[in-house]
Amino acid sequence: MITLDHVSKIYQNGHQALNDVSFNMAAGEMAFLLGHSGAGKSTLFKLITAIEKPTSGRITVDGKSFDKLRDSQIPALRQEIGVVFQDHKLLYDRTVFDNVALPLIVIGMSHDEIKKRVRAALGKVGLSGKEKVLPVALSGGEQQRVGIARAVINRPNILLADEPTGNLDESLSDEILDIFADFNRVGVTVLIATHDLRQVERLNKRTIELSQGEITGGETIEPTKLS
Amino acid sequence: MRTYLNRHLQVLFAAIGTFARTPFASLATILIIAITLVLPSILYITLKSGQQIAEGWQGRPQISIFIDTELGAQEAKLIFAELSLHPAIETAEFLTPQQALEEFTALSGMSYELDFLGENPLPASIVAMPDQENSESDSLQALKTELEKIEGIESIRLDLEWTDKFNSLLNTAERTTYLLFALLSAALFLIVGNTIKLLIMNRRDEIEVTKLVGGSNAFVRRPFLYYGFLFGVCGGVCALVLLYFSAIYISPALENLATLYQKETLVYQLNWHELLCIVAFGGALGWIAARLSVARHLRHIKPR
Repeated sequence: MITLDHVSKIYQNGHQALNDVSFNMAAGEMAFLLGHSGAGKSTLFKLITAIEKPTSGRITVDGKSFDKLRDSQIPALRQEIGVVFQDHKLLYDRTVFDNVALPLIVIGMSHDEIKKRVRAALGKVGLSGKEKVLPVALSGGEQQRVGIARAVINRPNILLADEPTGNLDESLSDEILDIFADFNRVGVTVLIATHDLRQVERLNKRTIELSQGEITGGETIEPTKLS
Repeated sequence: MRTYLNRHLQVLFAAIGTFARTPFASLATILIIAITLVLPSILYITLKSGQQIAEGWQGRPQISIFIDTELGAQEAKLIFAELSLHPAIETAEFLTPQQALEEFTALSGMSYELDFLGENPLPASIVAMPDQENSESDSLQALKTELEKIEGIESIRLDLEWTDKFNSLLNTAERTTYLLFALLSAALFLIVGNTIKLLIMNRRDEIEVTKLVGGSNAFVRRPFLYYGFLFGVCGGVCALVLLYFSAIYISPALENLATLYQKETLVYQLNWHELLCIVAFGGALGWIAARLSVARHLRHIKPR
């Protein structure tokens, strides 16, 4: 589902964010991307969502090779990928409904269908009845759930989450990660960037370790590494 | 097709909603556009009014022919008949000395002085209008020379110089109008373009998120095109309202002037086609300005 083949990324200012990164994620797999700040996790997500282009190497997502991807095809690719951000990236002057509905409005879905889907998505993340609320009136955990609802509303094949529990307490983190695990159970490929090793141990999924732009380890994390 | 229309309707209503959320800023922009459209429109109306007056003279000069005072009324009428049949003259009007005196008295207000003279000093006269072919300066001079040879004609006066001046003035006004129209259109273009740029900057986060969730460039661009179009159309409609109130303000003075020129009205009335043109022009220019502004500024915004 996601394949990176000897991918490197050097930004215009000369900073090398990724160096010869290769890995493969099968459809329906769930994995954690581990690494400290500056390890290259965010750059990896930007490459997978075609926000940035690799300096070298090949990327294939959902059967689409980025080598042949034209700019006009990028929106359709992004519609197949749900992304959850640490800073939520919500529109704070719009209601919860408007935020969650955005990916459906983009594809031109009818208003009635949008209503149904938004209600269902908000129900899944435990925010039923909050449609008309502005995000500023919600807690950090609730805002993150709005972000998750928006990411999954379009029933994507791939779900990427960049530090989704970064600002949350343990119990909220567990709840959020369980939501991702639920989506994975129904076949969605999930890649979560995190440095929360407790969650990695709890869910016992594959790991990909990044350090200074290079893959330094992987597979299931060893308990000895947990602090 | 229905989905396509739905999308456009959603964006249109969203654009109207944005206008409603920022009423003062939107109104200020619309008024600036309206004023920008009103100025050349007023010049256009003035120009058309001038052309309308000129058309009243059929764009042709008059020839005033004065009959020898020694001739009797019968002989003067014979000359009139001869001139009326002349192939180069389209219309001719005979004025007896008495009619000429009455007209002069009415226009000059010198009845007392004329009474003092005791007798009417004015000759019989003929006011003739040449046909289109003989209205040019050269052929008119030739016609004058030919008519002067007719026995009994004292003198002939052409008002060619005055009409030439007026037509020249109209030509200058026409060019000035088109120039001003072009300059103010450019100003309107810049106003809408800059407004759209500010809107794009204000909605940067929304644009980024929309692109992140798969919004195409066309989708992101669409609301801004509607803003540009709506700004232009609303500006055009406001321009019509301003023109209407301007006409109310100016009309008493113009009616007075029209009375002096013995006309019902001097002001050119814009027809429905021209009124619609002002609104359509505003809308089209707003749309094009928005399109260019969006193309220029949107490509710099990409998801982070």
